[in-house]
Amino acid sequence: MSAPKSAAANRPTQARPSSSWRTTAAEIAACWGPTAGRVLLGLVLAWFGYHELVQPALWTGYVPAVSSGSAPGVILVLAHGWLLLVLAAALIAGIWVRGTAGVAAVLLAEVVIWLAVKGGLSDLTLRDAGVLGLALCLTGATKQRFVLTS
Amino acid sequence: MQFGSVGPRGLVLLAAVGVLGLVLAVHGWAHRETGAVPGTLSNPSGAAHAPATAARSTPPTAGVTPPAQSGQSAAAGAPGPLLASQPFAQYSFVIWPGTPTPAAKAALTGLSVSVRRQPSGLSVTASVNGQGTGSAHFYPAGVSVYVVEAAMGDDSGASDYNLGDDGLVVTDSHGRIIS
Repeated sequence: MSAPKSAAANRPTQARPSSSWRTTAAEIAACWGPTAGRVLLGLVLAWFGYHELVQPALWTGYVPAVSSGSAPGVILVLAHGWLLLVLAAALIAGIWVRGTAGVAAVLLAEVVIWLAVKGGLSDLTLRDAGVLGLALCLTGATKQRFVLTS
Repeated sequence: MQFGSVGPRGLVLLAAVGVLGLVLAVHGWAHRETGAVPGTLSNPSGAAHAPATAARSTPPTAGVTPPAQSGQSAAAGAPGPLLASQPFAQYSFVIWPGTPTPAAKAALTGLSVSVRRQPSGLSVTASVNGQGTGSAHFYPAGVSVYVVEAAMGDDSGASDYNLGDDGLVVTDSHGRIIS
């Protein structure tokens, strides 16, 4: 009879560290998750923005309603790339994060819609939909670390 | 609604990145032709029905071009620069002669390219999947056929979402581009 009592007495002490670990992990995730998401989304935008700027002709195939490689297509790609680069810098530096993420979400929504219209639901479309979801999440994130406020 | 805050340093950073972006844009505009893939398979009209064929990078010369056979167009032209000297050389994958490598097969995603032996050369047909069959182009024997795909990330399943970075290049036996 004493063994069950002993086991029952031990339960709370065993549960406490697990609960504590989970709480700590949740606190860390809540604290750093938006920051990680912001920086990683910024890196994605920076990568695409840079490549659209340096090799715009390769991206004109994504521009709706203009011929691939045409001057209007190149100009649109350059403008898109420039905007992505500025948005990336703002996100990585933590400047106007929610507004910047909102603008990025609009751009990504346009990409997702165009990919879906052009090719239906594919791995590319859903991957970009996931990035769009990240941008939408950041529009509601109020806690950020490593922000350039000065 | 509070979007966040920004100070002088943040504004300076954004301005600097904006200027950097403008510089890169000017560079990209100035070099928009050098980064382009020749013989692009993209649809010039932006519509989805025009057949895609390999475009010429050099004008054809009758002396080099064998007589066209029925239903085919002669496509070999005067040799141009070496493929190896072109910026897209790193994105070129040989599909003839020999068996295409896995990378070449991946680069062919969304495209239909067939190379057939003819009595006096090769017949090459290229088109985009779902856009009909392109016309055959005739080349003399000994040429090599390459598919160009600058970025594989725009391929999904059997579709290629961005044909602006795809192309077909034919070189002579010395590696010089003839189409």
